[in-house]
Order: sequence, then structure tokens, then C-alpha cells
Amino acid sequence: MKREFRLSSRRDFFGQSAGALAALSAIAAQRGQAGQRGSPNPFAYDISHLQKTDPKLIAYEETARWKAPHPEARRMAIAHDDALYICSGNYVTVMNQSGERCTEIALAEPPRCVAVAKDGAIFIGLRDHIEIFDAKGARQATWDSPGKKPWLTGLAVTENDVFAADSGNRVILRYDKSGKLVRRIGEKNKERNIPGFIIPSPFLDVEIARDGLLRVNNPGRHRVETYTSDGDFEGSWGAVSMGITGFCGCCNPINLALLADGRFVTCEKGLPRVKIYSASGEFESVVAGVESFAENGKACGPSDCTAGGLDAVVDSQGRIFILDFVTGDVHVMKRKA
Amino acid sequence: MNEKPKTEPPVTRRTFLRNGSRIAAMTGLGALAGVVATRSTAEGWVWQIDPQKCLRCGNCATECVLEQSAVKCVHAFAICGYCNLCTGYFEPEPNALTTAAENQLCPTSAIKRSFVEDPYYEYTIDEKLCIGCAKCVEGCNRFGNGSLFLQIRHDRCVHCNECSIARTCAGDAFRRVPAKQPYLLKTTHAH
Repeated sequence: MKREFRLSSRRDFFGQSAGALAALSAIAAQRGQAGQRGSPNPFAYDISHLQKTDPKLIAYEETARWKAPHPEARRMAIAHDDALYICSGNYVTVMNQSGERCTEIALAEPPRCVAVAKDGAIFIGLRDHIEIFDAKGARQATWDSPGKKPWLTGLAVTENDVFAADSGNRVILRYDKSGKLVRRIGEKNKERNIPGFIIPSPFLDVEIARDGLLRVNNPGRHRVETYTSDGDFEGSWGAVSMGITGFCGCCNPINLALLADGRFVTCEKGLPRVKIYSASGEFESVVAGVESFAENGKACGPSDCTAGGLDAVVDSQGRIFILDFVTGDVHVMKRKA
Repeated sequence: MNEKPKTEPPVTRRTFLRNGSRIAAMTGLGALAGVVATRSTAEGWVWQIDPQKCLRCGNCATECVLEQSAVKCVHAFAICGYCNLCTGYFEPEPNALTTAAENQLCPTSAIKRSFVEDPYYEYTIDEKLCIGCAKCVEGCNRFGNGSLFLQIRHDRCVHCNECSIARTCAGDAFRRVPAKQPYLLKTTHAH
């Protein structure tokens, strides 16, 4: 039978063309998305198991949480009356333990660290110098910059001395109360068996223990070191590990606090976590694991991991206050019953 | 004698389709010419990865038209901390900080670790071995200074007009840059 030739109608023609175009578009779109929708990244850097903390290791529970008074929170200190001194924005704010503001000191530039003497004098470390205020917030003195490229990140005060951690020059500076530089501590010295601080990112802290010795973190060596106030190197502890018992990443711990019995509270970045070590450096427990600082963990984002960080102080009752530099949250942690 | 005025024949469906086909063909030719013209103006421009946008998704290793990707890891030594525990070099939980294969993060052992002085080590990329998977870049960015990053190496890139990696880049990190300045290098530390 002869097949009858028949032209399609205009409507059919346009309809079929539109259909063909839609099909082609769909195929093109599929091809374009193929790489993204394919199988999971075979080269994934998987640390998901490190981002979970064994609940059995967590010895503290959070009893309260409140915000630092200004953005860009950095460090904090605690006075003998348990008042908290928080560096955020261009201010050092004195807060009670419920997070209520008491007084505030405005500064010309961001404070990087703070310490409070027994007499109430407030020592504030700015990037390149130290300023001193009385307990009411009146400026008493401004000390000269210690030299080239200082980057002050930690302060500790005793009855007669002020110790400033200068991460820019990898040294602990010992001043007397008049602001005179007395000694440089921790600089590499083979004759004195001093290994030197390794500081890939600007985190160097100093604490005075009840034994009168300095405890200083050496983040690039993943350990905590002990020095006399005259600069003699007494010893160190700490191990490299991404696991919970050691210090992770390129440079940790970043900050320290001391419990009344001489045990250590250590703060880490990268895998943000706060842990307790014995006075001789054995891992004991976790105060708060990575889960507690979700935003802080993300701060190690596409650019690099020098952002983020945590700081901690211990009050007279043994409660630990943790400052999250990313969210500005202060976590109040109490030991579980 | 008056001639009958000529009447225009009505447009038949066949004529309409024939004319339509011709117009479509001309349009197609025009489009082709446009593409060629665009290509010629693209000369002087090359593809490159913006390291600030790169998400280390792994597509650079698998989507390049070359058997071994033209994307390589490069190292900004000025930013590097020369760490003993380099998280771009070592597995997240290495048995030891040694060069043993089981401790290395790179699937092709393309990073060479050499001692400088206590406690510093230097890390260099063997580009013949690097496949551009970005595993080391992720490790370095997560825990280090972010000195490792990916770049298209133009001694290998065949300069496809439509880069097949760019089409699938999860972070939209591919962009054209002047051929005279073909690299987007990291130069500063983000303190």
C-alpha cells in the first residue's frame, strides 16, 4: 500500500521542536552536573571520627552559657574575687560569673591579653605594648614597646613581676612592676639547653603555677614547658597526636589554665577541645570536646586554620570558663558529680 | 486591454518550512561564527583556580581531559610553618612521624619531606606524581597555615575553551586570568 505523504501541522512542528529542545537541555544539564553528582570524593580527608568525643572521657558539664560583650573576643583572665576580665572588640570588660557587665575599659586598639594582680591592678597587653589600669579602670601607666615585631598574646602577674608572652619574637618577657624589662625567657640557647619556642601561628601563653615556676605552651613542639623566673628550662611534657590524649594539628595547645592542685587545662584549635592533664602531663579527661564548638571548628575553613581558638580560666570553686573566639560564647563548665 | 493584476500566491506550508529551515541554518552559521569569534578573543586568557574559593572536592583529579590532571598542588613556602607534624603530609593519625608509606596522606607519595633543622621540615611537591586530588590541601588548610593549594599548571594544560573541570567545580573557583599572569598565588598569611 502506498504510504500517504502528509505535512505535519504547524502546531505539531513547534510542539515537537520544543520537546526536542527540552530533551537536549536536560541532557546538557545532566552532563554539566555529572562531576558534582557523581560518587563521593575518593580523596576525602576524613576526620569525622576525631570530631566525636567518647562520652566516658567527658568529666564536665555545661551549667551556663553567655556572650562576650563585644565581637572579636580574644582572651580572658580571672581575678582573685572570681570576676572575669574579657578582651573583646576594643574593650576589656569586667563581668560577674552570670555574664553581667560590671565595668569596662575602652582602648585605642584591640586588647590581646589581660591579667589582674592581687591588688586589683589590671595589666592589658595590646599588640605591641602593655597598659596598666587601676581596679576602677583609670589608666596608671603605658609601657614602651619591647622591640621589633612584638605580638603580645599572654600575660601573667605575680607580686613583683609581670610576664608577657610575645609570640612575634617567640619569647617570654619578664618585667618588674615599674615596667623595666628584667629578662628574656625561652629564647633558643644550646648552652642553657633551651629548645626555643616554635610558633607557626600567634598563640603563646604563660601561667604562674603555685610552685612559682612558669608554665608556657610551645605549640610547634606540641608540649607545655616549665621555666624558672630566671629563665632556666626545667622540663616539658606533651605528645603529638590527633587522638584525644595528645595535641593535634600544626600547633597546639594554644592556651593554658591551671587548676588549684597544679593540674593543667589545655585549649586546642583545629579540633577545638579543652582537656585536663595531671601536673606531670598525663591525660586525664575532657572538659568540652569538638562537639561543643561547632562554629569554632568551621573557622579552619577554605582560607586557613589560623582563625578560631579557645581560652579558659578556672575560678576558686574549680569551675572552668571557656571563651570561644569565634562565637564569643563563654561556656561555664562544672565537674560532673 | 487591461491585464489582470497578478495575485501573490499564498505561502504554502512547504514554503514556510523551507524558508524556516534556511533561516535556522543561517542562524546556526551566525552562532558558529560567534563562537569562533569569541574563541579568538579568549586568546590571551587562561583558566586558573582561585585558591580562596577552592573547596578541595577532588574533581580536579577526576574531571580533567588529560589522563593525569593538569591541576597540581603548589606550595607557598613563605606561608608554610615547616611543621614536624605537617597535616598536609601525614595521615590524620600516623603511626609515627616518619616517611613510611602508611603514614603519608598523599595517595601517590608526591610530597617529599626533608629535614631542615630541629624541629623544622621542608615539604616539596613532585609534580610528576601529583594528581591534583587536594587531599593534602585539605589537611594543610584544616590544621595548618594553608600554604598548600591547587593551581592549573600551564605547561600541561591543553587550554580547552570550556574547561571540563570548571564545568563541575563545586566551589566555582575556576576563572579566566590573563595569560601574562596565569597563576593566582597565595602570598600572605591570614593572621
